[in-house]
Amino acid sequence: MSLLVARGIEVHFPIRKGVLFERQVGAVKAVDGVDLQIERGTTYGLVGESGCGKSTLGRALLRLEEPTAGTVRFDGVDLLGLGYAAMRRIRSRMQMIFQDPMASLDPRQNVESILTEPLTAHDVPGGKQAHRARVRELLEWVGLPANALSRYPHEFSGGQRQRIGIARAIALGPELIVADEPVSALDVSVQAQVVNLLEELQERLGLTYLVIAHDLAVVRHISDTVGVMYLGGIVEQAPADALYDRPLHPYTIALMSAVPIPDPEVEDARERIFLSGDLPSPADPPTGCRFHTRCPYRQPTRCDTERPVLREVLPGQQVACHYAEQILSGRIQPAQVEVAPATTDGAASTG
Amino acid sequence: MALLEVRDLGVRFTRRGRRALVAVDGVSFDVDSGQTVGIVGESGCGKSVTSLAIMRLLPRRGVELSGAVRFAGEDLLAKSQDQMRDIRGQDIAMIFQDPMTSLNPVITVGLQLTEVLERHQGASRGEAKAEAAALLRRVGIPDPVRRLGEYPHQLSGGMRQRVMIAIALACRPRLLIADEPTTALDVTIQAQILELLRLLVDETGAALIMITHDLGVVAGLCETVHVMYAGRVVETAPRHDLFARPTHPYTGGLLGSIPRLDAARGEPLHPIRGSAGDAIPWSRGCAFAPRCTRRTPECVDGPPAVFHLAPDHSARCIHPVLHDLPETEPVP
Repeated sequence: MSLLVARGIEVHFPIRKGVLFERQVGAVKAVDGVDLQIERGTTYGLVGESGCGKSTLGRALLRLEEPTAGTVRFDGVDLLGLGYAAMRRIRSRMQMIFQDPMASLDPRQNVESILTEPLTAHDVPGGKQAHRARVRELLEWVGLPANALSRYPHEFSGGQRQRIGIARAIALGPELIVADEPVSALDVSVQAQVVNLLEELQERLGLTYLVIAHDLAVVRHISDTVGVMYLGGIVEQAPADALYDRPLHPYTIALMSAVPIPDPEVEDARERIFLSGDLPSPADPPTGCRFHTRCPYRQPTRCDTERPVLREVLPGQQVACHYAEQILSGRIQPAQVEVAPATTDGAASTG
Repeated sequence: MALLEVRDLGVRFTRRGRRALVAVDGVSFDVDSGQTVGIVGESGCGKSVTSLAIMRLLPRRGVELSGAVRFAGEDLLAKSQDQMRDIRGQDIAMIFQDPMTSLNPVITVGLQLTEVLERHQGASRGEAKAEAAALLRRVGIPDPVRRLGEYPHQLSGGMRQRVMIAIALACRPRLLIADEPTTALDVTIQAQILELLRLLVDETGAALIMITHDLGVVAGLCETVHVMYAGRVVETAPRHDLFARPTHPYTGGLLGSIPRLDAARGEPLHPIRGSAGDAIPWSRGCAFAPRCTRRTPECVDGPPAVFHLAPDHSARCIHPVLHDLPETEPVP
């Protein structure tokens, strides 16, 4: 059975105007109707560019952000129906790892106190003795020396700090961990250490991960299933290999083609699909398909009037595009996007 | 003679009562006219300080520069600040990582563009305005005349970086230094900006120094790549050679630790152990030795010599990785 099942999640932030009587004049639709499920023991990777709503979705699934609509079931329990005390109890089974360990660790607490806090907050039995033993075990699991206990976050390197954050997240023996950009603040040589650690811990503790990241290569490496988000909705969802071998949604195709690959032979041979323009505002999203304003495969009908739903196009691969089959068969080709107007168009003579 | 010759450049930050910090420690490289050169390294390796030293943008107090930076034959380190102001923007221009902090938030985009043209080319207000609009159009900004009257916060991140590029290229500099120009941008916008840079550098014939931590970016863009570690260049090679035959263990380590989008799944990553904070001073030995898997006691006997694999491929290592071993056939 799936560990986490979310249906129709919406997170709308109201935009208010006026001083005394604040009226709501609109809403930022950060997450706008997302269905998602995560199987026990697997890793679900959520990718998308900044502002697509991936972090908000991650927080909404843990109820750190209250969804304005939808349901979240964690191990069969309806999270949104839980009261304060019950929600607090169930939180020990779902934890979070944040992007910036410097900002998410209290600079005035030493490592021992940081790691003991979840144990006392959730009344883990056994008293001080047991807590101390547990903290030592955690340090060993994340590969920090035992003498780290009396030190403070600023005394560690970025990679070690992230290890502390990970140790804190696994302290209560959670089942689900939401990791929001767990490696993007780290140098590349250190990123790999943390990625490997996350994989090791998953194997050892049977963890289920939701990894939120903008780096497609990292997500591909770590995930079993990948969901691609654009402007508040999931546009494509598939097993990692299928998605990378054969992306079907125009946004996924463009995203993949934009990622630089550290191999000159590959780079020289690649064809890039450029997107025109920038991300539209989530307060005023385009009609129809959210992506149609930038889509190189845009068709004259349906795209701007009818919002496509996520549907299975190939076994296991779900796509929210009216024309996925035609794109797959090659009947629709992408339009060329000019990155800069050619010099021949008259007005652009520079100097 | 190369357009830019950096010879044994050193940058030390000194503070009273504290040990001096060596940020750049004897860096030498050349940039030919029209060439694209990459400088790659992780945070703290000295790549940005190198570029700021070339531009003479480091503060005067507390900074000791040594070595030579020759641009078109003239030593930039010997120039006065007044002379440098004529060179910056005119002959050498720079693009920074975060366009929000490098554009002035209280001055319109138009004024920031025309300022360069009036200062360096003596253009009149009207000429400069027309030229500025043409420049914005050239970097792919729609409706340029309206944009000229807008402020940086009214533009998206990608647009702001386009404006920065327009300002940098306004006077057709002979050398453009781009310091992590796409790091703050999303990957689809990054692709646009890199393509734009490639096009414009081609068109204007400017040389480009691309400073980045992203090996993927240099793979597609730079003819020659210098890999920096702890203030020194540890490997220099043409891009195809660098990626096919990484000779310094650090370069190989970097390549082994990046997950690749096109790799088969389940291939484990091979991280470099430790972190950049473990470096030892170059005067005592190889700074990378504490993290290196090929380390021997000789590595910390003194500064390592430079090993030449080919005339244009060198690595600062006494145990370089040699790739000339024939591939052994797997035994069935």
